[in-house]
Amino acid sequence: MNTLLRRPTSWALFLGLLATPVLAQPQTHEIIVESPAMTTGKTMPSVYTPDGRNLSPPITWRNLPAGTREIAVVCSDFGAGNPPPWVHWIIYSIPGSATGLPEGLPIMEETPMPAALEGAIQGLNGWRRPYYRGPAPPAGTPHLYHFKVYALDTELGLQPGLDREDLLRAMEGHIIGQGELVPVYERF
Amino acid sequence: MTDERRTLSRRALLRGAGAAGAAAAVTAVGVPTAAAPPAPEAPRRRLAPEQPSGIAPAPAIYEQLTADEAELLEAIADHLIPEDELGPGAVAAGAVVYIDRALSGALSDSRNAYRGGLAAFDRYCRASRGAPFRELSHLDQVSALIDVETGGATGAKTGFSGSSASFFGMVRNHVLQGTFGDPYYGGNRDYIGWDLLRYPGVRTAVSPALQEALEAGALEPNHRSAYDSPNFEKAVVDQRREGGTHYGD
Repeated sequence: MNTLLRRPTSWALFLGLLATPVLAQPQTHEIIVESPAMTTGKTMPSVYTPDGRNLSPPITWRNLPAGTREIAVVCSDFGAGNPPPWVHWIIYSIPGSATGLPEGLPIMEETPMPAALEGAIQGLNGWRRPYYRGPAPPAGTPHLYHFKVYALDTELGLQPGLDREDLLRAMEGHIIGQGELVPVYERF
Repeated sequence: MTDERRTLSRRALLRGAGAAGAAAAVTAVGVPTAAAPPAPEAPRRRLAPEQPSGIAPAPAIYEQLTADEAELLEAIADHLIPEDELGPGAVAAGAVVYIDRALSGALSDSRNAYRGGLAAFDRYCRASRGAPFRELSHLDQVSALIDVETGGATGAKTGFSGSSASFFGMVRNHVLQGTFGDPYYGGNRDYIGWDLLRYPGVRTAVSPALQEALEAGALEPNHRSAYDSPNFEKAVVDQRREGGTHYGD
């Protein structure tokens, strides 16, 4: 087991953060979120961080609720930001038919999204940039990165340029399922 | 709102600089050197530098930067303000020559920041992407610069002193100065920066006809340094360690 998860305080934080959104919306259906490259509680490969190429990681999901019309993904670090969380990635208006996100989504505006994600929009992260930027926690301080997937019951028709708060507000009342993957990253 | 998306593009940089106001906002530091292009005697009307066919521009001679440092800094400057359909970019404007000259004058306090920062950036590219910056793909070059700009390269054990974002901010500011500052200070070669912004140049007197032309967007650039006018002194700015900024001539 990862050394981080042997620390009681880390477990408390980890479980608490997992529980909070579930308690807030107990009626939502649980989506299974996975990745060929990352596992909950395990260290993320450095290729998805500034210690490597800082590519966006591949993510897959299954067990979407019936009636899913649109999907959104948010990656947040609840151990950073003032106030927390620090947002690393937002992507919304993902077609309800999509089954995941491939590795390395565009960081340049002239690069189109993959065809399966046509219409998907990368929103503004904590740096106010419309693309993924991976973990860079202070050395010796492991952080948890919540890749959260939301299933929505409608196509919201959102515009580019939304940040996490904008997105959560827009999704209010339309979330019919959610799930997350929570890998760890630590710099030494 | 697609145009709100920010990448390391010329448009993003110019937005950050205040677009058309950038020329006026840039603080040009006084580093008069032999490399500063002489002010033209008469206004020029061309909008792009012309080279006689078959004759390549003379390579820049650097005084403070090593060849490797200058090459890396040129590559970074080329990302910040690239040559594109709008015209030549920072490298053609001599922004790196400007920085080099300024490092022996008004920016001498930044010499160590450049030496350390460029070395750290080189180590960062090799450690994170497996090759020197100039050998990376365009995508990886952009990605590495974003990581330096956003501070992600800080703590990557490659030797950035403080935040990598500070180094990026310093380079960005100086590239802006070297591209859009008054040519008297050694950059903005052939008024490339001012032409890019469609800045028509300093006028010490404005007639109704000139005002009308300006408002109609038809005012021809005069391609003259502010110091071509007797109204402006050729002041030298010297940021002395012990005494702050000193003005003289």
